[in-house]
Amino acid sequence: MVRRLVVSAILAALTIYAQGGRGPAPPRTAKAAALYDITGYWVAVVTEDWRYRMVTPVKGELGGVALNPAGRKIAGEWDPAKDEQSGDQCRSYGAAALMNNPGRLHITWQDDETLKIEADNGQQTRLLHFGAATSGAGEWQGSSKALWEIVPAGRGDKPVGSLKVVTTQMRPGYLRKNGVPYSGTAVLTEYLDRVNEPDGNAYLVVTSTVEDPVYLAQPFQSASHFRKQPDGAGWKPRPCVTRW
Amino acid sequence: MEAPALCDQVVIVMKKRWSIAASVSSLLALASVLAFGQGLDFSGHTGLPAGIDISGSWYPLPFQDSGLITASGALAEYGGIPLNEAGRLYALAWNPSRIQGRQHQCMGYVPPYTYNQPGNLRFWEERDPYTQRLVALKQYWQISEGTRTIWMDDRPHPPAYAQHTWSGFATGRYEGNQLTVYTTHLKRGWIRANGIPQSDGATLVEHFIRHGDRITYLSVVNDPVYLEEPFSRTYTLGRSIKEPDTWQYACDDGEQILGRTEDQVESYFWGRHPFLHEFADKNKIPFLGTLGGPVTMYAELLDKVSDQKAAEAAATAELKPSAGPIQVSRVADPTPHDGEIHVLPVQGNIFMLAGDGGNVAVQVGDQGAIVVNSGAGGIPDNIVAAIKKLTDKPIQFIVNTGFQPDYTGGNAKLRAAGFDPSVEGSFFSGQFADAGKGATIIGHQNVENHLMALKTAPEGWPSDTFVQARRRKFHNGEAVEIFHVPNAVTDADSVVHFRRSDVIVTGDILNLVNYPHIDVKNGGSIQGELEALNFLLDRTVYQHDEENGTMIIPGRGRLCDEWELAEYRDMLVIIRDRVQDLIRSGATLDQVQAARVTADYDTRFGATAGAWTTPMFVEAVYTTLKNPPNGIKR
Repeated sequence: MVRRLVVSAILAALTIYAQGGRGPAPPRTAKAAALYDITGYWVAVVTEDWRYRMVTPVKGELGGVALNPAGRKIAGEWDPAKDEQSGDQCRSYGAAALMNNPGRLHITWQDDETLKIEADNGQQTRLLHFGAATSGAGEWQGSSKALWEIVPAGRGDKPVGSLKVVTTQMRPGYLRKNGVPYSGTAVLTEYLDRVNEPDGNAYLVVTSTVEDPVYLAQPFQSASHFRKQPDGAGWKPRPCVTRW
Repeated sequence: MEAPALCDQVVIVMKKRWSIAASVSSLLALASVLAFGQGLDFSGHTGLPAGIDISGSWYPLPFQDSGLITASGALAEYGGIPLNEAGRLYALAWNPSRIQGRQHQCMGYVPPYTYNQPGNLRFWEERDPYTQRLVALKQYWQISEGTRTIWMDDRPHPPAYAQHTWSGFATGRYEGNQLTVYTTHLKRGWIRANGIPQSDGATLVEHFIRHGDRITYLSVVNDPVYLEEPFSRTYTLGRSIKEPDTWQYACDDGEQILGRTEDQVESYFWGRHPFLHEFADKNKIPFLGTLGGPVTMYAELLDKVSDQKAAEAAATAELKPSAGPIQVSRVADPTPHDGEIHVLPVQGNIFMLAGDGGNVAVQVGDQGAIVVNSGAGGIPDNIVAAIKKLTDKPIQFIVNTGFQPDYTGGNAKLRAAGFDPSVEGSFFSGQFADAGKGATIIGHQNVENHLMALKTAPEGWPSDTFVQARRRKFHNGEAVEIFHVPNAVTDADSVVHFRRSDVIVTGDILNLVNYPHIDVKNGGSIQGELEALNFLLDRTVYQHDEENGTMIIPGRGRLCDEWELAEYRDMLVIIRDRVQDLIRSGATLDQVQAARVTADYDTRFGATAGAWTTPMFVEAVYTTLKNPPNGIKR
């Protein structure tokens, strides 16, 4: 009797497993497995941290960033003219800061395993690799690994979750325009979520954490967001500048 | 997890000969996990298990907008907020001394403002005890000891004439990996407590996205009164490792500035703000950027401020009202406009009847109903029918707070629908054939005078008039006070206070739809109106943080409490002071009209058509400041 019940349970379990319980077989590519569509044009809505993002904060204005003594020292030495002389105008356009800058994004699938994010402000390009490929090590945008992170919440029939991106090997840059530094060992972890509004608007919400044992006393956590645009109107490539 | 692992688990279960029930349920659970967990990658998890359940204790992470979390921003720090003209002018007129006013000291906070304030907040679920169905998410926040309910059971939002609260009426649903919440019925609060208002016409959509031990919160405020476009913003909340033990945030108001009169509300007349450039100068920010507006949210601002001269000129133009046109109210009309009477329980024995005329209040009890005002003449049958559903006792008294048709139009029919048992069979019935045959109509003598002058039907005239400042009764177990407030919107105004129920019926003294209809020809005046509002504020008590306690049924518009009354008083003081200022400088009425002294309130209360327009209101203020009636003078 016991054996019969257990065998029945096994069969039931395997049946559920075989049927998937979650619909069709898992997609083979990152593009096909996308939980939502974030391609298209997006405009940054700069409403939070406005005084640090839309304008160049004054030197030494470090509010909200827990710099350690080494980080404060670097921030205190900020000299935009020196950055210009050394050709480092793009220090505040690296991956750890890019999504906080005003401007527009154009997101496309470069291939089935790579999302491409182009920013008009600073004319930067990020490549988010879902597969084994890598790129960008030592450059402003660093090397980004992406995955669709499923949330085991159990609500609804479709899998839900977020696009998670981990970026490393970035060229040292600024979290903010006024020289708040991050080092080459910093790790940027981001979640890119799409939010649909009842009025038809859609937002891309970027939640980011910068961990940097060299300059930060604790991780710098923030969020920014972009509103979906119907087309590329307003796209305006701007060169990197050391201050707005 | 791969399939062979499941087989291993099964083998273990069989060998140990666990109970049958445990074995079966374990296997099914494993199968479910396996099925659900296909493709899961937990490698990125560093905190609590991922999920979208937000139950537990959280706190705002201090990294973003850090200067605003504790200090509410500097004066004239509006960058990144899509203010329209009215919103910007409201903020530019705001004097921080205003928060020392009695009714402002303990004002609550509206979402989303609450999520960017210091202090803990806690979410928990409320489920039906029998079905375990999720009914609501509850939230308690420390900053103002506020409790918020997010209904998860698809219930409809209340009608427009229902009360507004700090936390509003919220309904939610899970969408993908998000909790989405839609909120209406918010009080007028802050977008930022440096004077940037969020109106009571605002609605809010929020999304809570949980990533492990962090919630990313996106709010989108739609405020047709003060915003040019939706105001979206993100915050992050961190999960508290242990239950916070600091929750209390008590607030009682008191006298903070001795000697300040009740009709003193500090504000800056446009162009005279002494700290206008302080924030911009200190932080080397283009002044235009600090004034807010949609352009300040986008990269286009970088282009706009690149021409400093043009930017400065544009900023200067934004410091005062434009030439026009006059704006009109953009909030939802609380009048049902369906010819029906809608019953809204208030508190105690009191109900509010909302229809297409002025509001009607009803007190019910064993002694028969008291009805305050009788609505417009067109629908009294519906009022009678509605009252009959509330009580099987007769309408015994009708109180008129004024003589206007919207409050007296149904007098005759309502009177005929009731009778006064205290009169019938008494000495009076021996003297008067109709004594007690209908409800007794109570009103100030001037109500009767005006109705007689208007030659309305005598059956609708007050049968019981008074001339003293206070008429009192004890009816249905509570004291009922009727106060005459002289020369407010007319010379015949009264307010009614049901003391045990603690409900005040204001008549046209408080009109949450328009500016007060100050009828100068019939004795109304701005100063009398302000004295009437302050008289009411001396009688009201809030329950918690300027909410509930004494409930107020206005002449028009939604049910409210002390907060709306105080806001209305503040608005009228500010407008009065502007007009007075211009009169002192020799301005004519045309010049006062051209100055658009109501520009920061027109998108909430303004009208350019109908029986009572904004220019008519401004003229009434101007006229009665220059020539106050009956010696009423500031």
